[in-house]
Amino acid sequence: MSTTGYDATGVTLKATAYGVVAFLVLGNLVPFLFILSVSFMPPSEFFTDPHLVPYEPTLEAWTSGFEELRGNLVNSFLIGAGTALLALAITIPGAYAFARKEFYGKTAGFYAIISAMMFPYILLVIPIMDLWTALGVYNTIFGMILAYQVFVTPFSIWILRDFFENLPTDIEEAAQVYGCTQFTAFVRVILPLAAPGIVAVGFLAFLTGWNDFLFANLLTTGTGPVPAVPVLYGTIGGGSGERVYWGKLMAETLIIGTPPTIIYLVARNYLESAFSV
Amino acid sequence: MSTRRLFDIDGRTERYRSILRENWFTYLLIMPVLLFLIVLMWLPFLQGIYMSFNEWPFGGDPTWIGAANYEFLLNWEPFYTSLKATAIFSLTTVFQLGVALAAALAVRELRRGKSFVSAAFLLSYTMPPLVIGTIWAYLLEPDFGPVFGYLTELNVLEETIYWGSSGPMSLAVVMFVTTWTFWPFMFLIISASLESIPEELYESARMYGAGPVQTFLRVTLPQLKSAILVALSIRIIWNMTKISQVLQLTNGGPGYDTSILAVLLYQFAYERGQMGISYAIGIILLVMTLGFVFVFIREFERASEGAGA
Repeated sequence: MSTTGYDATGVTLKATAYGVVAFLVLGNLVPFLFILSVSFMPPSEFFTDPHLVPYEPTLEAWTSGFEELRGNLVNSFLIGAGTALLALAITIPGAYAFARKEFYGKTAGFYAIISAMMFPYILLVIPIMDLWTALGVYNTIFGMILAYQVFVTPFSIWILRDFFENLPTDIEEAAQVYGCTQFTAFVRVILPLAAPGIVAVGFLAFLTGWNDFLFANLLTTGTGPVPAVPVLYGTIGGGSGERVYWGKLMAETLIIGTPPTIIYLVARNYLESAFSV
Repeated sequence: MSTRRLFDIDGRTERYRSILRENWFTYLLIMPVLLFLIVLMWLPFLQGIYMSFNEWPFGGDPTWIGAANYEFLLNWEPFYTSLKATAIFSLTTVFQLGVALAAALAVRELRRGKSFVSAAFLLSYTMPPLVIGTIWAYLLEPDFGPVFGYLTELNVLEETIYWGSSGPMSLAVVMFVTTWTFWPFMFLIISASLESIPEELYESARMYGAGPVQTFLRVTLPQLKSAILVALSIRIIWNMTKISQVLQLTNGGPGYDTSILAVLLYQFAYERGQMGISYAIGIILLVMTLGFVFVFIREFERASEGAGA
């Protein structure tokens, strides 16, 4: 009797689980499906009653949206890639030291870096605007890449340290026995083994540079290398009062939103292993 | 006594010197990160603290005015509206946790399709928050957005709701969109931690006759505690400082009803060019979030110890 009772709860549990999953998957996908369909509608159509399949699909929103954003997308890409490269260059050595060396001040140093993740970044924007103007990197791609290091370095150190830590302990020594120096052991043995972590960090850093709005909006002006995200904000935000061509706007959201999604799907396995706290 | 202390100091510097000599290469390795964080974070932050005691127009020269910026804020009615909005808005973190926990537990029960499901979940998190905000700004547009379009067509609502003119409704919309956008982050962390709970724990719970609720409360939840607290403390701070969606959905309005502190900060800096007041708001925000940093570090330490053992 107790077993049937158990089964009943088991079945209810399963049903609830599937229900929750179905609800959330639909809740996530339906809005995107809708946006996708709207992006193919001609302007006249979305002022009529809502409908999911466009009556007269057109590519106009996509082509004009892409036309408008082309230069900004290039900026976004350069900023993202630069952020990733610089972040890797400065955090790989540091993460390696934190993972595999013993030294005075190790714990304190590690938490000083990690807790930067908890810093309300918006507090930095204002002084950085001031400082960047003084240094002459305000409104440049390099200035943006530099500024994003604040977001990126703490979690890069965190993820990479865990990767380096989990490698077998004697591996460098073994390499040195075979004639490597400390440095070549690091380059030839440790780096390739930590490649998944490095890839994950690189992608996350790229996404940070690509996705951010705050620095992107405040550290550039109309004349400078504006990335794609603030352009989108400019079209809708600030209550410009102009009539918005929603179809084009939705095409633009998908144009900007697709690269990060593709990157995510490609790098998924790396990223998921990186997130196990 | 004094000579002894002197002697001690000598011994200490000697020790530091030998530490440096032995480990100079290690210190060289961590130098770039430290340098970057000092230049990019701590120096601007210190300058900001100084800024908050000045009248500081954007690009202009500062004038020292002591605590006048803080006094201004404390005597300024909208500041309290903003504090209230911030407190209510921070509940979005709890909603995110609820959805993420339910999702992680449910996905665990799935036999197949796990990978498709979690990919679908993460869609909203991988795109720029501003993109998601734009999408919802359209979907929830009162006049021709599809959400209210369908609701009125299906006679659920008699007529569309102009939520932008009501403070509580605007806040609800902003919180909904924020939750929708960011819950997958918590889902990632919680489901990673869920996967790492050893199966034996569940087996013994079953052997002792624990029901599903008991198993959840006594086995799953304690094992997830650190992951949940790490995710919560990160998320609560990030939620309070991400402003793009609030700006594009309501621009802080109507009045100041959805101007959470971060938005107020942004408006003072960007629209009014009063950097001093803006930074004073920032300092208040920082003080409010400081406690979570300690929770984060403690639980982080606990989690990494657990992983190491």
